[in-house]
Amino acid sequence: MSHGGGGHAAELFPENQVLGIGLVLSLIGMYIANFLPEYAMLIGGALTVPACVAGANTTRRVAAYGLGTGVPSIGMVSLGMGTLSALAAVYLPVAMGIDSMATPIIAVVVSLAIGAIVGKLTQNPVGMKVPIIVSSMIKLSLMGALSILGFCTAFAGGFSANVFIPGAIETGMIGLAFIAAGIAILHPFNACLGPNESHRRTMYLAIACGLLAWLVFAISKLDAISTVISAVLWVATYAMFVKMSLNDASDVLYTPELPKKEE
Amino acid sequence: MDISSIILPLVEITLAGAIINASVHFVPVGGAPAAMATSTGVGTGTTQLAAGAGFTGLLAAAGMAAQPGIIISNPVHALLIMLSGAVGAMIMLGLTMLIGQLIYVYGVGIVPAADKCDVDPITKDPQSAFITPGTTGHGIPTVCFVSGLIGAALGGIGGGMAYVGLLGLGFTIPAIAGVLAVGFFFMNAVLASYNIGGTIEGFHDPKFKKMPNGVIASTVSSLVAALILIGMSMGL
Repeated sequence: MSHGGGGHAAELFPENQVLGIGLVLSLIGMYIANFLPEYAMLIGGALTVPACVAGANTTRRVAAYGLGTGVPSIGMVSLGMGTLSALAAVYLPVAMGIDSMATPIIAVVVSLAIGAIVGKLTQNPVGMKVPIIVSSMIKLSLMGALSILGFCTAFAGGFSANVFIPGAIETGMIGLAFIAAGIAILHPFNACLGPNESHRRTMYLAIACGLLAWLVFAISKLDAISTVISAVLWVATYAMFVKMSLNDASDVLYTPELPKKEE
Repeated sequence: MDISSIILPLVEITLAGAIINASVHFVPVGGAPAAMATSTGVGTGTTQLAAGAGFTGLLAAAGMAAQPGIIISNPVHALLIMLSGAVGAMIMLGLTMLIGQLIYVYGVGIVPAADKCDVDPITKDPQSAFITPGTTGHGIPTVCFVSGLIGAALGGIGGGMAYVGLLGLGFTIPAIAGVLAVGFFFMNAVLASYNIGGTIEGFHDPKFKKMPNGVIASTVSSLVAALILIGMSMGL
């Protein structure tokens, strides 16, 4: 089984546990962002990071089977399904006459349904030979939806249609959420795969990428406190990741400067 | 909202998904081997290439739809939007293939040759004599280039059709229709790339025969997406 060439590395953190933490924390973050708009970016943004990390963890698991199309494709399908689910969750409460408090729950339900259908389709007519593809598509769709909705809610300061649409869609922030959260989900494993891939190192990069996405949103919102906190945390985790990479490498050699003239 | 104003967008969005999926199968994609000129096609993944062409098409379609005097319910105008999407996507993919080809021929120094056919179906030039041993073709031969242009045209039409369907449902703010179309496009492009599973040279590639599977998958997933979108449009 190709692991980008490395075989299944030991799993240090159980997938469902990571997923559960991501789900619960991002839901809490969205509700806090909705009720306390002044802390939306600080708390809502921070609590969306676990959703990105959980998505990256699932990407690691499913992409280890060797998709034949590259790791980014799984991140893009995750965000594609996530965008539809997140927007459905904003509009459906208005259509069905439910209170907007149900928005995050609807996002969860719709993304689970879309993920299950797309997962089944990749298995049956398309014929992907990955045993965990259906469950992984469901998880990826869920985390894609939560990270998009989470960052956009943090930016707009709420998830009800009258706040979310002018705040996050018409400003184009949803496009930023699409690509920033997408990179946080697809990049960690894409960068770390190969021989000697370690779960811990990939997860560190996932956390760093999630924090970087939060930093981008904090800067766009001109939120000074969130910017400083996310920047400090990002630098800390990224430095830790580089240190781990250097430790795990068999040797680190620096290319010397070419001599100016022959000696 | 009456039933006919729901059925038309439903058909448009479902059909758009199927067309987008079919279009991806035409695009010559070589992935990492093509980046090293050891396989035919453009040196990147299916999803990225299809998405690039699709988004350019979508932007062109949105630009046309925003012109004064364009009415979505008018079939001629809807056709114009789709065709401008097709032209936008074709320009993007045509330029990508052209620049890639310049690098392959003048930078890497290879002769474009297709591995999956002995004779180019369009120019009738022999191919197998020019393939470097140990590689599966290189560059972007004529048949791949033409196939890519057909794929881009179909992708642009599909993206434009999805955009028209969304506008027809009442997602009149271009930002919302655009974001939804992007999500929808990615879903179908990735389903197609999973059907191909890596590299494809174009319509002469044996993998092209797998296209019906991908189209069926996209039709079903697009139908589900269309139903959700219709549900969403009730709240507008």
